Amino acid sequence: MRGQVSRRTVIGFIAPAVFGLAIVGIAPLLYAAWTSLHFFNLIKLKQVKFIGLENYWTVLTDEVFWQAMGRTFFLLCTALPLQLALGLGIALVLHKPGLTILKTLARLSLVLPMATTYAVVGLLGQVMFNQKFGVINQMLGGANINWIGDPTNAFAMIIFWDVWQWTPFVALVLLAGLTMVPGEVEEAARLETKSWWTVLRYVQLPFLLPGLVAVLILRTADTLKLFDMVFTLTRGGPGAATEFISLMIQRVGFRGFDQGLASAQAIILLIITIILAQIYIRVFYKEV
Amino acid sequence: MSIRKLLCSVALSGVMATGALAEGHGWSLAKAAEPYAGTTVDVVFLLRPGYEAIEAMLPAFEEETGIKVNVIKHPYENALGEQVRDFVAGGDLDVVLIDLVWIGNFAENDWALPLADVQAKFPDIVDPDLDIDDFFPLVLDAFGSWNGTTYGLPVDNYSGLMFYNRCMLEEAGFDGPPETWTELKDVYGPALTKDGKYAFALQSKRNETQSADSFARMIWPFGGSFLDADFKSNLNSPESQAGLQFRQDLMQYMPDGIVAYDHAEVVNGFAQGDIAMITEWSAFYSSVVSPETSKVADCVEIAPEPKGPAGRKPALGGFSMAVASQADEAEQAAAYLFIQWATSKANAVEYVERGGVSARQSAYEDPALAETFKYIPALVESWQDGVPEFRPRFAEWPEITEIVQEWGTKMMLGEVTTEEGAQEIGTRMEAVLEDAGYYSGDKPLAQ
Repeated sequence: MRGQVSRRTVIGFIAPAVFGLAIVGIAPLLYAAWTSLHFFNLIKLKQVKFIGLENYWTVLTDEVFWQAMGRTFFLLCTALPLQLALGLGIALVLHKPGLTILKTLARLSLVLPMATTYAVVGLLGQVMFNQKFGVINQMLGGANINWIGDPTNAFAMIIFWDVWQWTPFVALVLLAGLTMVPGEVEEAARLETKSWWTVLRYVQLPFLLPGLVAVLILRTADTLKLFDMVFTLTRGGPGAATEFISLMIQRVGFRGFDQGLASAQAIILLIITIILAQIYIRVFYKEV
Repeated sequence: MSIRKLLCSVALSGVMATGALAEGHGWSLAKAAEPYAGTTVDVVFLLRPGYEAIEAMLPAFEEETGIKVNVIKHPYENALGEQVRDFVAGGDLDVVLIDLVWIGNFAENDWALPLADVQAKFPDIVDPDLDIDDFFPLVLDAFGSWNGTTYGLPVDNYSGLMFYNRCMLEEAGFDGPPETWTELKDVYGPALTKDGKYAFALQSKRNETQSADSFARMIWPFGGSFLDADFKSNLNSPESQAGLQFRQDLMQYMPDGIVAYDHAEVVNGFAQGDIAMITEWSAFYSSVVSPETSKVADCVEIAPEPKGPAGRKPALGGFSMAVASQADEAEQAAAYLFIQWATSKANAVEYVERGGVSARQSAYEDPALAETFKYIPALVESWQDGVPEFRPRFAEWPEITEIVQEWGTKMMLGEVTTEEGAQEIGTRMEAVLEDAGYYSGDKPLAQ
């Protein structure tokens, strides 16, 4: 039929992407699933054997795994609301009319934290939060706060850096959502009420919801796999104060070399992420 | 012909004849390497002075042999993982760099070849002047041997030493360093901890530093150990507990947040004049005596680590290099030639002068060298009385060290008592050893 794209053309366009995804995404996942069913320790390869769901049982009954999971969710529950509140505030300010050049500059500068490599953020943190020479203690009037060596302070430091790096992302996504609000609707609403909260709640929020759900899913997934910054900054310490789930998986898989157990942990983490994403979509997502 | 000319002719003839003899029957590196010229040897090096010293010397080796040495650099924390992945994947590494706690792992997996096997396979490349008895016996045993078989030759060798700031000690009225750990805590600690300065710092970051430099360093001098004769945990013994409790008590004379201090932080604190004494590896000597990196270079003195009730049991750490079994024949021979050259008696003094720490006894016989490198007398003394199993060297250590790191740090933070922490480590450590087959008799009780 004229105008209709042939099946061969469609396959020709889609197949390379599917093939690429299969190679870099699905094959390793299948391999991890296979590994998780085996005793598979890199330094004991002579003893590799099928052990069924034993690794999963070990993970699910491991107190240390759930402690790491608890810390990860605590980080998510503290950092994400801060990012949402600050991000929304920045988005609303940038959405106001006027000061075009300054807003353009502000938007550009928002990209900088996101563009900074995670590991570099961690190294920066080590220097800036150094108890004796760090700029943070200097800014606090020469305070002698032990940031990296104290469990509570170290956790607060991780929250600070996560908020610093990812609030701009939230702000840009929400700003994009605000620009979707039809100008005449917003203008009419502002003529009806002077309350910014009413405008936000009833006019702007419906347009922000798709972005908010995307932010929730992406930031949840990012937090669950947060690794580089924490590894370079605290390496999970002091003690286990900042040992989040991804650091624990790396420790088990690449420092203890138990790839089978680490794969089981990673699969469970994947399942938790998928469940959370589904919950977010079902609870929050609504088409405008 | 004058008598002078005659003597010169005789002397010249003699030299030529000797040279011809050496060419014809003697051993030379260049000649031994001839069949392997053009071979590339891949080796992992650490970002430490001992490896920089070898790198600086490498051009001479490459020129003489025609063998190319490809150095892949990693920080210590990555070196084990990188090598394990390379060996599992049948990669390119031709030399195995072995920390003393990795040797059981590499030997049991057959990734490193026994030295005798390599020498038997390539008899022509064995230097008649190798003189293996010239290595400090403790070092060769601990760093290069496993279960009675020698695999590697010691290359980057450490003993824990006490670095102290003579100026700070003199100012506080001391004319020398403490002889015992108890003296350090009870006498030097209160006198030197004031005005933002600290008497001592024990690097205790949660990585191998916590296990080796902090935890093990405190249990051995007090008579403790990780395992008893039956390979059960010995960490709740009165001796081990005394050492661990001593560490807790000593923390009042250390900087806050000592659990976040790695080697760099401790060495920098000492070099800045904020810490009076540290117990660190001999390898950091060049950092603290160089005016470029140390404000207290002129005040630095070195002594052996203090004694505990069980004597001086200094921290022991270091590396050896062995030939990788995955290398092909030419690479194995070339790798052996490189290892033999890097650890040779002939190069030992130059290695030391360039910042390395040699395990050759003969290198330290020259008193002039000891005057230049002040750590030498303390190092030689420390290597007389070390414990090879300072950290168990079996294949299970990577799993056990993770447990020690976690609970050792928790003890220091006061999150658990030393008894509770030792109990946790002991239970988990025994589970790892049980799975490995030590209690069923599947594996010999070697550490």
